Amino acid sequence: MKLSSQAIDILEQLKKHGRRTVEELENEGFDQSMVNRAAIELQDKGLAEVEEEETVTRYLTETGKKVAAEGSPEHKLIERVEEGDKSLSKLQDLNLDVALGKARQKNWIEIQGGSVALTDKGKNALEEDDLKKRLNEEDFMQVHEDRGLVEAEIEVTRILVLTEKGEDLELEKVEEDFNVEAQVQTPRIGKKHFYKEILDFAQEKFVEMGFQEMTGDFIVPSFLNFDALYTAQDHPARDLHDTFFMKTPEKSDLSEYGDKVQHVKETHEDGWTTGSKGWGYDWSEQEASRNVLRTHTTAVSARRLHEIDINEEELPKKLFCIGRNFRNETVDRTHLPGFIQLDGIVVGKNLNYRNLKGYLSEFFEKMGYEEFRLIPSYYPYTEMSTEVQVYDEEEDEWLGMGGAGLFRPEVVKPMLGFEATVLAWGLGLGRVAMKAAEIEDIRELYRNDIEILEETPKWRPHNGGEQ
Amino acid sequence: MANLEIDKREFDQLVGESIDNQKMIEEGSMLGAHWHRIEGNVCEVETYPNRPDLLSVEGLARAYRGFFDIDTGREKYDIQKGDLKVEVDESVEDVRPHIGGAVVRGLELSKKKINGLIQLQEKMHETMGRRRDKLAIGLHDLSTVEAPFTYKAVEPEKVSFKPLEYDKHMQLGEILDEHEKGQKYAWILEDEDRYPIIEDSEGKVLSFPPIINNQLTEVDSETTDIFIDVTGKHRETVMKALNILTTALSERGGQIESVTVDGEKMPDLTPEEMELDIEYFRDISGLDLEPEEIVKRLEMMKHEAKKKGDKIKVKIPAYRNDIIHQYDLIEEVVIAHRYDNIEPEVPEVDQMASVKPIQDFADRIRDVMTGAGALEANTFYLSSKEKIFEMMEIEENEVAEVANASGEEQEVVRNWLLPSLFQTLHDNRHHSYPQTFFEVSDVVELDNSRVGASNKKKMAYIVTGNEKDYTDARAILQVLERDLGLEFDVQEKYRSCFKESRSAAVYFKDKRVGIIGEFSEEVIENWELSYPAAGLELDVEKILELKE
Repeated sequence: MKLSSQAIDILEQLKKHGRRTVEELENEGFDQSMVNRAAIELQDKGLAEVEEEETVTRYLTETGKKVAAEGSPEHKLIERVEEGDKSLSKLQDLNLDVALGKARQKNWIEIQGGSVALTDKGKNALEEDDLKKRLNEEDFMQVHEDRGLVEAEIEVTRILVLTEKGEDLELEKVEEDFNVEAQVQTPRIGKKHFYKEILDFAQEKFVEMGFQEMTGDFIVPSFLNFDALYTAQDHPARDLHDTFFMKTPEKSDLSEYGDKVQHVKETHEDGWTTGSKGWGYDWSEQEASRNVLRTHTTAVSARRLHEIDINEEELPKKLFCIGRNFRNETVDRTHLPGFIQLDGIVVGKNLNYRNLKGYLSEFFEKMGYEEFRLIPSYYPYTEMSTEVQVYDEEEDEWLGMGGAGLFRPEVVKPMLGFEATVLAWGLGLGRVAMKAAEIEDIRELYRNDIEILEETPKWRPHNGGEQ
Repeated sequence: MANLEIDKREFDQLVGESIDNQKMIEEGSMLGAHWHRIEGNVCEVETYPNRPDLLSVEGLARAYRGFFDIDTGREKYDIQKGDLKVEVDESVEDVRPHIGGAVVRGLELSKKKINGLIQLQEKMHETMGRRRDKLAIGLHDLSTVEAPFTYKAVEPEKVSFKPLEYDKHMQLGEILDEHEKGQKYAWILEDEDRYPIIEDSEGKVLSFPPIINNQLTEVDSETTDIFIDVTGKHRETVMKALNILTTALSERGGQIESVTVDGEKMPDLTPEEMELDIEYFRDISGLDLEPEEIVKRLEMMKHEAKKKGDKIKVKIPAYRNDIIHQYDLIEEVVIAHRYDNIEPEVPEVDQMASVKPIQDFADRIRDVMTGAGALEANTFYLSSKEKIFEMMEIEENEVAEVANASGEEQEVVRNWLLPSLFQTLHDNRHHSYPQTFFEVSDVVELDNSRVGASNKKKMAYIVTGNEKDYTDARAILQVLERDLGLEFDVQEKYRSCFKESRSAAVYFKDKRVGIIGEFSEEVIENWELSYPAAGLELDVEKILELKE
């Protein structure tokens, strides 16, 4: 029999001890990658086997420790409600979003408007904080992991075990050999994040289509995020439960928008000169100046309209922006407080809805989707509001990729300063990234697990994006 | 968005013919209400907030009658003159000023139909009514009360009645404290010392809006005549809601009868008129439709439409509250034409593409860093003060703070990147070593701009493993210098996250642009790492500025 010199060395060790963990061999001075190579070779020849033992250690995260010590937010909530604090305004000191969400999920409470009431289930739950108890007794469950209270650490011990054939083989009869067929350890190399690579690719496609990049800040006045986008001040999206408002810096000075503030005000109130009836309410500049973490990159598009006007840029213009946005969500397997959106606008005098469909179908074709369609939807700031869907051949289903439409005249005229057609879209590629990395937990997009980063192939559309 | 459950048999009956389930699922969504599933007779339909008129099986059937070309054009609802009067007392002015009323007679209601009405009412409360604040609806069995009615505001302890779901007389204040609906909606009346009621000529309470009705007037399968009240804070919303309800009940075969509220006859189902300019339509939609085709499509959306010169005169049904600009009419035509039937067309727009210089610079750094063997991280922008200050062993400094964070992890917007890379190492503790990560990304810094904060592009690098130290970070800095054509000046300077003698500031053209160092044992311990770590963070934006 022929074996490489490394395999002979490891075989010698195994013949001495019968079985050895990789770690033990490393301690004896063998290089880890060399051990791995030898193991593969010995396995191929049937001289040794590699066993893997998994030890799972579960431990409390920082949030978990807090819940174990102080009790769960939802239980604190029902205790307080039982004590008489039924109104949400009195419960603001609690971690209210989590508390309400979980208590609702468990059917402990009923709530609408400002007041919370316990259900029978909720009353039964008062007696003991089951979650706190379980965490303290280390009776961990999957739901605890999903909520980020518990984290699991898996340690894999690899053990090389001599087979009978290996035992019987006399070392003296082995010839030293160089095995070109044996696998070696794949090295750890530098690599871009799979999600960013998909976004890079998308950016490249916009550039191919002649688009210019626009950028903007995360913190913007409500004016840009909502008011300029003709979103009424009592619109549910402006709720504390959906949008992050800023404590510092709390407010913006809107003076840079000059008369446009007044025009937006009048547009909301009675339509101004846009030909619209408006929303018919008293618009507040105070409310518009409150800073938020932008909830969509459409805020960047809104600002860009203003810049086109003040810089007297010539139309038409094709612009795109890829950026982070924020929504006040409790983190779990399917929700994140942030997401990345690809916004595009085309501003011009002679543009129409067919053109919007043209750009979108061209883009998605480049992204490898042959079929795409538009379904009626609703956004306060677009007309011909549509949901963009692409057909996923592998899954045989239509996937929602975002929204599109023409900016309403109520958006364009006040911000751009004159009438024009603005084609607009806001797309998301998170699902494409999740499919590429074969992950189901959305948090993995931001967790940077080395194995997922390494194992995910460099992304290209499944058909190479050929047209 | 609202999710409805409707009965397919009822839907078909109201439409006037049976529509294939498959067709509903495939084409139904093209009207702007998503048909998710039909199982047996139960249809799950999702509607958008701009169409509260679609929140009932009656409203949906009406819309699809047109959309599927079964019965197009505007529905004409006959209103008979009635003599019911509602007096409005000025005491409601500051509490809940607006009220609308209407009567519908001759209804045949089953339990299922009543449930449908309750669903419509509840969904309208939630969406259009902003959880009953902006509008609230009451439906009453007219045979139990005596006209005229009075809408007024009273002191909470002065009036009592037996509310729905409770079998005892309660004062208004008690209802807010004890009744489930009272607790749920008490916040709307939080600042008031007088509460609105509607009472009949004998002083019997019909309703305590926006909270609950009197048991007395409860609608059941014996009810044939209904009095509808809508109260609220925004007159137009109240009137639209009244129109949606009365026309839905009329679709059921009821006869609408007018009510005089404060001298005004209601409901007013006069259609609103708007003109659609044919050329404007063609310009915006890109569809070269003939006037007759535009008219036809508007009729399929249940409008009344007539060509007049180069315009189409449109009469919009009184139950629609979303047509506020010609643009909305264009959408109506395009929806009826169907988005699927629109040929995409890419216009000729000559423009040189460009990316921002800072993005291009960032991309070059990413190339250099991956070439140097590091993995790119994609991390969260929101973090906690604990993570960006305490665990990094540095003093708290100025940072953008969120006012209504739902968890500690969303308390601040990070103002430097290295804590995010420590989080990444922490999350990867179970993998083998050494590990190297980098990220080129935005942070937010407070400043004296009009907003008070701006994004800044930074890059950070971190390495950890047995025998990793300052020299590994320094090596990467030198790679960046070489490959980006920069010349850095590194000067020893202590920063508390680093080891005392292995901490430096990075200068470029005499300006400070970053930090580099080997992390202190405290920091390593805080992040529960088992090997030493070193890293650097550079102000990419400043470097690019100085470079040019």
